[in-house]
Amino acid sequence: MGNTFFLHPSLLFFVVLPVIPWLKGIWRQAVVLLVPLLAFTLVLGMHPGIYGTVNINGLSLVFGRVDKLALVFANVFALMSFIGAIYGLHVKEPWQQVAAMGYVGSALGCVFAGDFLTLFLFWEGLMVFSSALVFLRKTRSSSRAGYRYFLVHVAGGLLLLGGIFLHYHQSGSIAFVRFDQESAGLAQYLILAGFLLNAAVPPLHAWLPDAYGSATVVGSVFMCAYTTKTAVYALIRSFPGFEILIVLGVIMALYGVVYAVLENDARRLLSYHIISQVGYMVTGVGIGTALSLNGACAHAYAHILYKALLFMGVGGVLEVTGRSRFSELGGLWKYMPYTFVFTLIGGLSISAFPLFSGFVSKSMVISGAWASHLQWAALGLTLASAGTFLHTGLKVPYFIWFWRDEPSFSPPEKEAPLNMLIAMALASYYCILIGINPSGLYKMLPFDATYHPYSGAHVMASLQILLFTMLGFFLLIKKLYPEPKVGLDLDWFYRRGASWFMAFCRNVLRMLDEQVIKNLHKTLALPLLRGLARLSAWNDERVIDGFVDNSAAAVLRLGDHMRVFLQPGILSRYVARTLTVLAGIILLALYLR
Amino acid sequence: MIVRCISWLRSHYGMVRKSFCALLALLVVGDLLVPRHHPHFLGDEIPGFWALFGFLACALIIIASKWLGHAWLFRPEDYYDAKGKE
Repeated sequence: MGNTFFLHPSLLFFVVLPVIPWLKGIWRQAVVLLVPLLAFTLVLGMHPGIYGTVNINGLSLVFGRVDKLALVFANVFALMSFIGAIYGLHVKEPWQQVAAMGYVGSALGCVFAGDFLTLFLFWEGLMVFSSALVFLRKTRSSSRAGYRYFLVHVAGGLLLLGGIFLHYHQSGSIAFVRFDQESAGLAQYLILAGFLLNAAVPPLHAWLPDAYGSATVVGSVFMCAYTTKTAVYALIRSFPGFEILIVLGVIMALYGVVYAVLENDARRLLSYHIISQVGYMVTGVGIGTALSLNGACAHAYAHILYKALLFMGVGGVLEVTGRSRFSELGGLWKYMPYTFVFTLIGGLSISAFPLFSGFVSKSMVISGAWASHLQWAALGLTLASAGTFLHTGLKVPYFIWFWRDEPSFSPPEKEAPLNMLIAMALASYYCILIGINPSGLYKMLPFDATYHPYSGAHVMASLQILLFTMLGFFLLIKKLYPEPKVGLDLDWFYRRGASWFMAFCRNVLRMLDEQVIKNLHKTLALPLLRGLARLSAWNDERVIDGFVDNSAAAVLRLGDHMRVFLQPGILSRYVARTLTVLAGIILLALYLR
Repeated sequence: MIVRCISWLRSHYGMVRKSFCALLALLVVGDLLVPRHHPHFLGDEIPGFWALFGFLACALIIIASKWLGHAWLFRPEDYYDAKGKE
């Protein structure tokens, strides 16, 4: 233990976990709000150092590695848990809050983990608690999505664990530190694959829209913040400067945009934009300069807040109207105006409008790409940012709140619940605060690079891109009308693949069993078995029985002889034999003396 | 209040559209005057380049994605459910 006081913030979350279901009403609300606040205060008061080291069989597990990189993520994780707690305050049944608390605790555990085993422990915690958030929606399709989510993440966890073991075998160390691109081998790439799956990097991404579109309203607000950003943190920690990440990141940023065009469900659209946004962070990690790594951190921080804000807005609509498909929505501006304004703030933030949080973070990554002379990457990311505004800034608000003059269903009577609106207001406040005054965020950044987003040329260029995108949106709006369709994505392989596997089992394997195996059994196995049985019966009858019978008869005959000889029934013979024996004993005794 | 603002804007649609166009024009004109300290590549030095880029990017994304969707990716919404059970 270090000299300074250290209390692991995850501990708070895990300690109250078993208590929450027993608390009722206001008491539960108080606990659910207080724990994140307390955790946030703890994180704010932390000093860099190594705390909470536990030795097990010569392996030292580090639960509390605190440095600037860990702190910037812990800070936003704790802040988000407070906002999310407010958002979920109205939920009557306790299990979503339990799952969310465990989820946040696990994410914080990952952030402070100083070795791979501790990281893996909390990594699996993330998986368990977040899949609970999917299952708790309690619909048929959500439990299916939950199983898929769980299985995919089990596979990812195994990749990670395999990598960790191999790495330990090779290097004898489980320290969660930076890897070198030149010396990276199978072990490192397995770990990387585990991280990339959680970061939803194509082709390991299809779980994300599947699960986040199916989770509970509160659940997806939490989920959009933690799993992918924990993975981004892990990538920054271990894989900065891995060039493959630049390519993957740019592909990711554009991939999400293309699928967002096709998407009809608002929450799935936002999910594809998570993939797109995390693409910026992954690119930043791949470039690996101080500026771009700072950009990745800053973008993760800003992204957690505005993406949660967007999920809160769309979730509010889902909560009130029970709908999240664009083709069913539209015309809500009169009925849910506050939710509209907050969602719009989220949309402007993710689109990197000047004065909103995305502007000061996204541009760091793009500037990092320019500064490293990666023009194709910078242009690709800029193209993706036009797409981001197109969908999240324009398509989401337009097709939910406008488009139709009146909703196609009976209009909602109320706005979203008050606690939801408060949570949205708080997130909006932070989005604007970071946008107006980025120095607070920049001071937290772990690497040494200065950056000034508000230069005349930069603001001008951004405004041009954004507003001309808007022009394009309104000119081409007919093409964007929502279509009630789903876009094929790579989850096809395991969703259709699973039904093919079932069909294979049902048809091919069963046919094999019934036709081939059964006939083989009849024509070959049964006669063979019968022959063997006959042989052993013969053996039993002739050899074994004969032997046993003969030896029994012999014993019987011996017994008869003995009886005739030893027990004749004549007194004089008994006396004579007794005296003979006695004489023998006496003679023996005399001889021995 | 928000509802009143929005309905006022909606009733003055023509004016909103005109002022939006004026804003766009202003942006391109303004781009002539902005000082450029660290141009990263050719596009940074051409006034209005990013405006064109934004518009083309938007059109490209919409048209390319929709084409991809209709040519290959779109399936009915119950695609997985329908195929899942037998």
